[in-house]
Amino acid sequence: MMASTSPPPTTSPAMSSTTTTATTKPCVKCRSNPGTLDSRGQLVCRLCFQKFISAKCIKQIGLLNKDVRSSSSSALSDYHSTQKNAGPPQASSRRYLLGLSLGPSSAALLELLNENVEFQVGRGRNAPFELGVVHVSGAGLEGDGKGREREKVEEVVRRLGRRYPRFEFRVVYLEEVVGLETVDWEGLGLGLGLGGFVTEQKDETEVTTTTKAERLRQLFDNLPSSTTSRTDLLRLFTRHLLIAEARKSQCHALLLGSSTTALAELTLSETAKGRGFSLPWQINDGVLGVPSFSPNSSSSLKTDETGILIYHPLRDALRKELVTFTKLSGEPTPIADLLPETDLTTTAAVVSHKDLSIEEVMVRYFADVEENYPSIVANVARTTGKLMRLFGGGGAGADGDEGVRSKTEGEDENEEEDDDDEERLCGLCSMPLDEFGDQRWKGELGEDNYRDVVVGGEGEKKTKQRICYGCERSIRG
Amino acid sequence: MAPALCAICKTERANIKRPKNHARVCKGCFLTLFEEEVHHTIISSKLFYPGERVAIGASGGKDSTVLASVLKTLNERYNYGLELVLLSIDEGIKGYRDDSLETVKRNAVQYDMPLKIVGYDELYGWTMDQVVETIGKKGNCTYCGVFRRQALDRGAKMLDIKHVVTGHNADDVAETILMNLLRGDMGRLARSTNIVTGDDSSDVKRSKPLKYAYEKEIVMYAHHKKLDYFSTECIYSPEAFRGSARALIKQLERIRPSAILDILRSGEDMARLVPGESASSCGCKGKSKTPAATAAEDDGGIGGCGSNGAASGNEMAAMEKQLRENEAAEGLEVDVSKLSLAGKAAESETDGAVPLKTNKNSKPVTRQTLGNCKRCGYMSSQEVCQACMLLEGLNKNRAQIQI
Repeated sequence: MMASTSPPPTTSPAMSSTTTTATTKPCVKCRSNPGTLDSRGQLVCRLCFQKFISAKCIKQIGLLNKDVRSSSSSALSDYHSTQKNAGPPQASSRRYLLGLSLGPSSAALLELLNENVEFQVGRGRNAPFELGVVHVSGAGLEGDGKGREREKVEEVVRRLGRRYPRFEFRVVYLEEVVGLETVDWEGLGLGLGLGGFVTEQKDETEVTTTTKAERLRQLFDNLPSSTTSRTDLLRLFTRHLLIAEARKSQCHALLLGSSTTALAELTLSETAKGRGFSLPWQINDGVLGVPSFSPNSSSSLKTDETGILIYHPLRDALRKELVTFTKLSGEPTPIADLLPETDLTTTAAVVSHKDLSIEEVMVRYFADVEENYPSIVANVARTTGKLMRLFGGGGAGADGDEGVRSKTEGEDENEEEDDDDEERLCGLCSMPLDEFGDQRWKGELGEDNYRDVVVGGEGEKKTKQRICYGCERSIRG
Repeated sequence: MAPALCAICKTERANIKRPKNHARVCKGCFLTLFEEEVHHTIISSKLFYPGERVAIGASGGKDSTVLASVLKTLNERYNYGLELVLLSIDEGIKGYRDDSLETVKRNAVQYDMPLKIVGYDELYGWTMDQVVETIGKKGNCTYCGVFRRQALDRGAKMLDIKHVVTGHNADDVAETILMNLLRGDMGRLARSTNIVTGDDSSDVKRSKPLKYAYEKEIVMYAHHKKLDYFSTECIYSPEAFRGSARALIKQLERIRPSAILDILRSGEDMARLVPGESASSCGCKGKSKTPAATAAEDDGGIGGCGSNGAASGNEMAAMEKQLRENEAAEGLEVDVSKLSLAGKAAESETDGAVPLKTNKNSKPVTRQTLGNCKRCGYMSSQEVCQACMLLEGLNKNRAQIQI
């Protein structure tokens, strides 16, 4: 199934007869090349497969490009016009940020975006967008050999930068999350008082970095001893950093490489972590509110007036398809060859089931389901996306009687119209707080008594309204 | 190392680690805690009213036995004023029910409760063994589940009782939530989280007082209370989605014991996000628009069976096939050659200002209306109820065999 050098999928199919595998059956799509790949039950050739994936991505990118253009008079441009040196965005100068995990899916997205730009430019048009690429790395956070680990990561990213010279690449290290104002450090009660940071940040850069890393290590050490809590926070912090980078570089949208499979995994793992309420915000594309917990403003929670547009252009492609794609696509060598070797999806031997995170359990589970029932995987993400975004956590409406509001409103209306000042966001995951749900749960379970038994209930009250159920579970067990 | 003391009474030795939260408690405090938590559920959901006659769906298994025991205890301790009756269904599975029904009969004596046994043969003219003989071992859980759900309600009606409680535990509910997520069935997901299904206007109300109780704690309770229960799994295979979800739940519980409750919390919250569904997890508050017929269909069966009328055979494979056919029919496979014009094509093809994907264009979650089955007169959302449909198929087969 590997072919050495053949044209990118956007060129004529007639040129791609270089496939070497001996197969008698022709591709069901082009009916000329031999079918070498199984694509959702159909035998297709390499080129048709690449086109298939590419089309799925381009469809979403088209929606995004249009979305950015049409929203140029709304929330997003408000945000940008408040930034210095930034006028309202021109439709021709869209800026996106790609979150690159260095896994196959986001790497595939990188290749596809590049393909898209090259195609347009090749036709004498303007590039449809500018792209910044950010890899958030937790490398070297613990232990020694810090420099070497980081060097490796940076080398990989540099390699990709040489491959895709049109795009800007950056590496951001995880400890940079410490002190970000989108996290309510003080409210979290993690021994990370923000006041401390402000003074320490005035020191030399070197010192600050060390301190931040130490602080972050400390934070992780204080978590309940489960891999799940750790993984959960890593994911949240990565997201915070990507959003921060996107805003800093005045991007119109943050692109994530999540595949259909990843979204299905996310659905089930977030459900298992008690974060079901936030799924409509996490699964769908659209504008997400971004909170600000600036140490200077005394009000504990204030939602930023704007938000960030988040898109998942590969939401219609399966992970296994993207893995295949990265092995087939890219010039002169497949992209897969440029990526680090560690791959979550391979079913490595499990040392202890207790050491797995909930995410890892779901990855293993869906790797199985995806193999035999790909449409079921796709259906999970699709139907979960139908859930409505509810602003159930507004300060005024949380008395219980009103309970469910805006039930019949579609999420799109909510996004544009909802009074963001009312909406209260979680101090850790930035998802809307569900005070109605919290109260009901407390009533149904007598949760306080239960917590008293487990953790002694100290200091619970203070932070109760500031973080959501799922985050509380991750931080306090 | 000195033995740790119970976290509650601080006097007895803590010889139990609660599966739910790993709290270390003594045996006495565990039993009390367990009972008080069920009491809390009952009170906060206003499950009963004084003088209510309540049928306990009793299989002889651990869940329903613990439910009967706890309800008896709480009824006396807190003067609920309930009249409790044991209601058992005899599916007619040799080697499964024979023994468990003996257990239920002993329970009736031990708890001093009246017992009513209703058989599939007298209700439907078929025992489960006969069903399996006819249709084979695959997919028979559908029959069993559909028949049993009606059987409980019919049995309750015979006794003139309007409230049936079942032994569904937190694991069962969590399993149902994950299963419905996997099946993409948001309507069922929403309804399955309710502690009460059906409301005052429907014939028979169902509730699950053990909704928040961990299966492991139920086993522990039964063990330490030395309850007389019959422990065996149903000998026929569980449905694929449910089996798959169950395996997941067990894995998740190992990693993080709170996961089961966390799934319940997620499920209840998500129920409020399903378009057109009842707001509250408690049927007594929000007037449910999906009354007893769907309620009866949506409850998972006792003992984890009950595939809610999914296609027989391998349900996952069947659904996969169905979904693929839908995809093909809807023409979701876009002609790729047209799309190579990149964003341009997509832009011109879609209309509307904000192309965020919303539920605007998607099909709404189907809402069912209550009627009566025209064959048996039993409440149903269809013209002919599920049980009668299944019976029709079975009877056709039987006729052929006899010829």
